[in-house]
Amino acid sequence: MSHFLDRLTFFTRDKEAFADGHGVVTDEDRTWEDGYRKRWAHDKIVRSTHGTNCTGSCSWKIYVKGGVVTWETQQTDYPRTRPDMPNHEPRGCSRGASYSWYLYSANRVKYPMVRGRLVRLWREARKTLGPVEAWASIVEDPQRAKSYKLVRGMGGFVRSTWGEINEIIAAANIYTIKKYGPDRVIGFSPIPAMSMVSYAAGSRYLSLIGGVCMSFYDWYCDLPPASPQVWGEQTDVPESADWYNSTFIIAWGSNVPQTRTPDAHFFTEVRYKGAKIVAVTPDYAEVSKLADLWLHPKQGTDSALAMAMGHVVLREFHLEQKSAYFEDYVRRFTDMPMLVKLVKRGEHLVADRFVRASDFSESLGHANNPDWKTLAYDEISGNVVAPNGSIGFRWNQKEGEDQGKWNTEEKDGKSGDSVRLSLSLIDSRDDIAPVAFPYFGGIVNERFQHSDMDTDVLVRNVAVKKLQLAEGETLVATVFDLLCANYGLDRGLGGANVAKSFDDDVPYTPKWQEGITGVKADDVITVARQFADNADKTNGKSMVIIGAAMNHWYHSDMNYRGVINLLMMCGCVGQSGGGWAHYVGQEKLRPQTGWLPLAFALDWHRPPRQQNSTSFFYAHTDQWRYEKLAVEEIISPLADAREFPGSLVDFNVRSERMGWLPSAPQLQTNPIQVCKDAAAAGLDPKEYAAKALKDGTLRMSCEDPDNPANFPRNLFVWRSNLLGSSGKGHEYFLKHLLGTKHGVQGKDLGEDGGQKPQEVVWHDDAPEGKLDLLVTLDFRMSTTCLYSDIVLPTATWYEKNDLNTSDMHPFIHPLSSAIDPVWEARSDWDIYKGIARTFSEVVKGHLGVEKELVLTPLLHDTPAELAQATTVKEWKKGECDLVPGKTAPGMAVAERDYPNTYNRFTALGPLMAKVGNGGKGIAWNTQSEVENLAKLNYTVVEEGPTKGLPKIETDVDACEVILMLAPETNGEVAVKAWQALSKITGRDHGHLAKPKEDEKIRFRDIQAQPRKIISSPTWSGIESEHVSYNSGYTNVHELIPWRTLTGRQQFYQDHKWMLGFGEGMCVYRPPVDLKTIVPVQGNKSNGNPEVVLNFITPHQKWGIHSTYTDNLLMLTLSRGGPIVWLSETDAREAGIEDNDWIELYNVNGAITARAVVSQRVNAGMCMMYHAQEKIVNVPGSEVTGQRGGIHNSVTRAVVKPTHMIGGYAQQSYGFNYYGTIGTNRDEFVIVRKMNKVDWLDEPAPSGAGGEV
Amino acid sequence: MFLKAISGLLTYPQGQLISALPEIALLIENEPDLSAEHKNALMALVNELSQDDLLSSQETYVEVFDRGRATSLHLFEHVHGESRDRGMAMIDLRNTYEKAGLVLHANELPDYLPVVLEYLSTRSENEIRELLGDCAHILRKVGEALLDRGSHYSAVFATLLALVDEPGLVPTARRRPTAEEKSIDEEWAEEPVEFGPAAKPACNRAQAQSSVIRFVDRSH
Repeated sequence: MSHFLDRLTFFTRDKEAFADGHGVVTDEDRTWEDGYRKRWAHDKIVRSTHGTNCTGSCSWKIYVKGGVVTWETQQTDYPRTRPDMPNHEPRGCSRGASYSWYLYSANRVKYPMVRGRLVRLWREARKTLGPVEAWASIVEDPQRAKSYKLVRGMGGFVRSTWGEINEIIAAANIYTIKKYGPDRVIGFSPIPAMSMVSYAAGSRYLSLIGGVCMSFYDWYCDLPPASPQVWGEQTDVPESADWYNSTFIIAWGSNVPQTRTPDAHFFTEVRYKGAKIVAVTPDYAEVSKLADLWLHPKQGTDSALAMAMGHVVLREFHLEQKSAYFEDYVRRFTDMPMLVKLVKRGEHLVADRFVRASDFSESLGHANNPDWKTLAYDEISGNVVAPNGSIGFRWNQKEGEDQGKWNTEEKDGKSGDSVRLSLSLIDSRDDIAPVAFPYFGGIVNERFQHSDMDTDVLVRNVAVKKLQLAEGETLVATVFDLLCANYGLDRGLGGANVAKSFDDDVPYTPKWQEGITGVKADDVITVARQFADNADKTNGKSMVIIGAAMNHWYHSDMNYRGVINLLMMCGCVGQSGGGWAHYVGQEKLRPQTGWLPLAFALDWHRPPRQQNSTSFFYAHTDQWRYEKLAVEEIISPLADAREFPGSLVDFNVRSERMGWLPSAPQLQTNPIQVCKDAAAAGLDPKEYAAKALKDGTLRMSCEDPDNPANFPRNLFVWRSNLLGSSGKGHEYFLKHLLGTKHGVQGKDLGEDGGQKPQEVVWHDDAPEGKLDLLVTLDFRMSTTCLYSDIVLPTATWYEKNDLNTSDMHPFIHPLSSAIDPVWEARSDWDIYKGIARTFSEVVKGHLGVEKELVLTPLLHDTPAELAQATTVKEWKKGECDLVPGKTAPGMAVAERDYPNTYNRFTALGPLMAKVGNGGKGIAWNTQSEVENLAKLNYTVVEEGPTKGLPKIETDVDACEVILMLAPETNGEVAVKAWQALSKITGRDHGHLAKPKEDEKIRFRDIQAQPRKIISSPTWSGIESEHVSYNSGYTNVHELIPWRTLTGRQQFYQDHKWMLGFGEGMCVYRPPVDLKTIVPVQGNKSNGNPEVVLNFITPHQKWGIHSTYTDNLLMLTLSRGGPIVWLSETDAREAGIEDNDWIELYNVNGAITARAVVSQRVNAGMCMMYHAQEKIVNVPGSEVTGQRGGIHNSVTRAVVKPTHMIGGYAQQSYGFNYYGTIGTNRDEFVIVRKMNKVDWLDEPAPSGAGGEV
Repeated sequence: MFLKAISGLLTYPQGQLISALPEIALLIENEPDLSAEHKNALMALVNELSQDDLLSSQETYVEVFDRGRATSLHLFEHVHGESRDRGMAMIDLRNTYEKAGLVLHANELPDYLPVVLEYLSTRSENEIRELLGDCAHILRKVGEALLDRGSHYSAVFATLLALVDEPGLVPTARRRPTAEEKSIDEEWAEEPVEFGPAAKPACNRAQAQSSVIRFVDRSH
């Protein structure tokens, strides 16, 4: 068409064109847009975050309109860091983005709820009785008690009022304290970092009344005991931004893009800078696709792979072409130069403990703690010296003696002369000695490959020197020389079991591991070589990101130490861009020392009661009664079995008696009664208890957990889904702790004639329903809520004020109240405050000011960690005297003012100003902070015992307490804390905080924008303009010792039990056989073929643990219910097709789920993303006849004796620091297709109502 | 008054409701527009509430209405579920109440059916018909779910549908889980959004405008 016809000649359009005719101005009706405008309009935006158990700690904008939360979006105003560092923002993931659904969902807990049968009994009793008497009348009548315990998990709730509920709880607590003791009131809440005030609310209440706060990190099995063993620190890790400073990253069993969604961008970005990425995962996990190389060892055999990599690095970088950087690093910062005694055990010469100054007749001139000073050869003088920094220098420092010598300067701790510690004695040796090492790789486990060397003991030649000690001439070797022998390196000393070539099939060569892991030797050599080469050239910028896949194994310590060894020998730990990056379940409560007093009421009472959960639940859910793993199976072939008798629970009892692990309940007698008995006997309670324990009139509860006097009676669960997610041995919880319907299939040791424990009283009839009252606080009806007696509606993360920090980034975040809690919900702070108020009223006439005896284990970072130096002795067996705090638990008398519990809850107690504050072995004065708080929060004006003290009335007040007291958020405190540490190390660390002295972060500051925390000695990394947070940084750059026996990172563990269980050095240990298949195999057939698979439970994509797994959005994105992943091979064998309903079972219980058949999965294993709620879309099981369980229905906790060690430097107890862990990866299940999918939605024939 | 009574029947059973039951029974008896069948069904509920012991009635109520989506009394749970439109819809509904001079003071959400019914008990016949007609499909869905469970509460929903001449409840054969999942998938399938004046309206404007509150969701 021509232009003439195309264009108008006489008219022009009333529309104006612009942009060369690409745009046109119109005046058409645009009201249709209002719909969109209105939709996105809002009254205000509030900053909050999600307090789920996730290290995201992401800043979110919460949009509020008309008092209703309409939606949330990611915040994008994080402070920028520095040039060349990508921004942190935006942070968040699909899970967080769907959170606001919970606020108004049908799943929300809207009212205080109580079990109908219980409240019926209560109201009836209350007609005539007072609250405490009413509670007694219910729980002391077996019929009544059973009537409501039996139907736990079967519905039957009614709404109640806060007034009534608080009274029931208070009455139950008071009754329990009076009758059995305050340590029968238990509280479980995890991961305080994610909403620390909400955590503190419950723990403050419990600590004030003498209740017990339970650990979580070890129970979840996310806590790696290897970390305390090696470093004396638990899970100090680099922030995710530090990945960007690395140049070689191995992601080992950590699925970063799936589980660390907001941080993964650093991982992908650093690849564009040229960093090499290697993924090590058995399945083709999401992280594999981001990697340059994917290694897929058989699940559970990672330590074999790590040992082989260590073999390569030692050979090529420490023995042949020596790396000057590595050599200097390991000499100064690891125990490699330290001397170890060699002793004869049986026919073999074996490595024993570190030589100590006290082994010399004059203790080498050391008067202070010579038992705790380790030794090395000085190359300059040729003498044996006790160099600065070992733990003996840390405590009881005196001017002119050890003052200021706890550092890792290269100095003789006595003379102060410069020293250069000798790594190897090979050139100065007196002799070559054959040293025996345990070998576990030949253990036959029918579902794993073993590597039979025809022996379980490997003898290798080691260069030794002869030392004249007080006990006579003794052979000694350095850790370095022993380590090379342990790794199987031939150093020309002759003898067997060592390799010249990587192709020799000798433990631990690359060739040897091939048979176990299935990874090609060439790949191992390449990765190890490149990893070390990169570290050598960059001074340690090689990093391993590591996660749950590695840590949930029974022998996880070996997986972890194998990797840590690799990092230490490459000088990566404590270097920017390098080191050990463990990201699972870890939580960094950055303002920790500000939070501790609030959380555990240290402003009123010290010490608090804290308990390691794994041992607690192992005992009180009676999982020990079903123990099938014998100690003989895990002991070292070099140990004398007579020294390690009994079963696993026996070891835990011994540990508790020796003060290693804590106890809850502590004594069979009410600790209030103990103090009364002491007074009657005219003795100090501690003296009395020690005497009574010795003569047997007083017993520890751990010796008889099935005695009603020792039951935990009341349990609070908040911020947790203990029964729907984290409860290992779920069905045992249901059976013994709750006393309701369960799916346990196996028999206990009594029924099947197994060997019973030695230290524990056996009752033929196992108790069922130990717990009188289970109270859960939640905003959604979780599995735990459904099993509870009382469910309290708590505020969501958009309805309360709180604080949130993470180890993944250095910012501190608020949770903010965007709207008031809807329906009857209240914040955790207000809920516990309310309970405390009612408690204080109801308690009058029952309890007044009471004295009670509190037992504490020998704690890490206190002088008590120097309790038991060179040998293990039991007072119970008469091997030593019972000395509280030395050979037995520490003892202290606490004075509880029960009627003033509420007043104490809401005021900052006098101990802060009187005693001060501190953490990790450092103490400082807090007088000025307390004064400032009094001005900021105002003081209590009402007459009474708390008049004039700073108020902690609201959740914001509580936040201010934390922020004011913590060095991380108050620069003045940071300076004080560093000064306090400087006194001990003799080095000036003040420069790390001085520039920030005037900085004080308040709650409203972080609501305005996330704030970066201030460097503090609580942590081993720093925040600065130049480096990202990386653990071990101040150890390397400020010469602050690691808080271990040697003051250095330890390749070698010399505690008697470590040696007894064969873990002095890192070795390969195959998964253990839990024997859960055979008793049920073949006798529960439904006619379909069955396969036996390893049961792996990784973190998931559609939820954060169980949170969001009941969220419709996330269910829509996944398959809408529980799923289990299978390999194509196994599925074919079992005749299972994708999306079929399948059942997984073993002696522990059963699970029903849909099958996902995928090439991702290796044959021999199945994967169930853990913590899929059993309240959503779970049909009945053909095996149990009950509804299918959660992933933990097929697990049972199995404890490990080496995790019970205590009173021994870094192996001393700390809350969430050390202790037994709830392992579950070694578990196997029978998998088969289901015949009948029964939804159990008909009323039960008995008329008892539907079950969960 | 009748709607107020119906609203009351759907609330959590407490002393006040129980003592008002005779009065409610009278209102039901005298309601002219209600068939004997519906009256009898409602009376069965009233009788159950007055005869059962209060705690049992409360347990039943919690079991039926406080858990899960299918029988939720919050209307928007059925329309918007976890969608972001829910917040806006609640605000619109509250504004509607406020325009009528009623301020929601109870600790409840505006889309709670007893709230809606109480509001309607003060409104004209026309408005009642319009609003209940709009949410008839929800009333039917919840009512049928209750019928499936053999709950007497289904009578309330049957009555409400009858009041506005909507088809009543049909006892559904027990749904197989697969069929249910399929319908959820269909229900939640997102349609592509088109922008601009020529695009199909994002929702049924005519309907939405007439009742302000959108009980009919999405782009059907």
